Amino acid sequence: MEEKNNGAIPEAQDKPVPALTHVDANQEGYRWVAITAMLFAIGIILHTVSPNVGGVTPNWTIAMYAIVINLTRPPLKRALGIGFVAGLTLIPSSKSAFPLGNMASELCGATSCCLMVKAFALCHLENWRPVPFITGFAATFVSGSVFTFILKLVLGLPLRIWIFAMLPVVAVVGLLNGLITFGLFRPVKKLFYAQEGGDDK
Amino acid sequence: MNPVVSVTEFYFKYLRSGLVLKNINLEIEKGSFTVIIGPSGAGKTTLCKAITGIVPYYTGGDYAGDVKVLGETTKGKKVSDLAMKVGLMLEDYESQLVSLTAGEEVAFSLLNHGFPPDEAEERTRRALEDVGLPGRENYQLDELSGGQRQRLALASLLAVHPEVIVLDEPVSAMDPDGGESLYKLLGKIREEYGTTFIVVEHRVEFVLPYMTNLIAVKNGEIAGQGTCEEVVSRIYEDTELRPLLPDLWQIKRGLEISTGQRFRLWRSTEEAAEELRMKGFGKGVRA
Repeated sequence: MEEKNNGAIPEAQDKPVPALTHVDANQEGYRWVAITAMLFAIGIILHTVSPNVGGVTPNWTIAMYAIVINLTRPPLKRALGIGFVAGLTLIPSSKSAFPLGNMASELCGATSCCLMVKAFALCHLENWRPVPFITGFAATFVSGSVFTFILKLVLGLPLRIWIFAMLPVVAVVGLLNGLITFGLFRPVKKLFYAQEGGDDK
Repeated sequence: MNPVVSVTEFYFKYLRSGLVLKNINLEIEKGSFTVIIGPSGAGKTTLCKAITGIVPYYTGGDYAGDVKVLGETTKGKKVSDLAMKVGLMLEDYESQLVSLTAGEEVAFSLLNHGFPPDEAEERTRRALEDVGLPGRENYQLDELSGGQRQRLALASLLAVHPEVIVLDEPVSAMDPDGGESLYKLLGKIREEYGTTFIVVEHRVEFVLPYMTNLIAVKNGEIAGQGTCEEVVSRIYEDTELRPLLPDLWQIKRGLEISTGQRFRLWRSTEEAAEELRMKGFGKGVRA
């Protein structure tokens, strides 16, 4: 240890602070993978055990990837990957007539969520509190609309059934998912980004 | 002077905080055992994170100045690469354990850095031996006691053979026996491998026999630094830092001031008692 003036600090304590260089947190190497995997796992479990009430069940998987996209703000390609994996995880537990429809619907849902998050960021509204609710609702509504439209095509249902019977249910599930996304976003953010605000002792 | 860590005019603030570190200038000598003391919130943990590159490159924030480890700046270095040179054990060491068994835990960072499985196995065996956990490779983490898990975290650092090991309050949750035992182990490792240790410690009594250097941090600034002999007087003068010195050294300085005599820097009560006896203290006082 280089001794300076009998252990004292030789330089003035009131030295002016130099210009500081800003560094963004470089935690995103694999962190987004961990966050995505963990939230997907939670989503799959909840998706499996959630009861169906009046034909409406929240889609936990969509809510979870909406949280992931809001948290990590991924590029579009990565959001497509998230949607692809979400679709894959939904296929085994799907009770619908066309489980593969989940692939297309979740790709669309994740993409729309990602684009909306980017749009809010462009408008400098990324920290606006309702953003998770809006994006969670939008992702679910887009995903549900695509899924039910594929179902309509596969089953040969009339268009008005899709518009007047299926879309309202999709909208209700969307609202539920929006609330879940909104409710969980801040706790999850606090959990994963606890260090950002400075945790020094 | 052969510094393994040098910090030059370093300033840092987190993304949403005021300045946490201000004008930090320090050099850590190779093979030294440096203890960092300071009141709560002084910036000790952030200083440790700065030495390991976590601050500012992982946490984000605003900084000025430079930190060099083994002569190389930490700028642009990945924390995982720096970990090969400087290992960090956090106060919450449990958060650093990620595997199911002790062997997997120690081998984790080795395999991630591309060590061949045979070498990783050999290093794991040796590291577990060094920390007093020989043959525990297949133990589940929940089969190990708290103290053993802490030693395991230390073994994970040792396995990559870093030249510098930084420990943030490693004995804060330990009983006195556990604390003494851990520092004895660190002392042995330092002797055997010449590893440089930097330790944040409130209970300095445990580390007295091993520490060579002392850094006092106060309000984000270095309030004193140097070899223990050089810096104790300066720290004693600061009424806020004085209670952080070991009791023995506070007594020593108090006696020096009141009697005008000079005393050695006692490393144990026995050493203190011997010198005081030799200098005639306690004569005529009934035991």
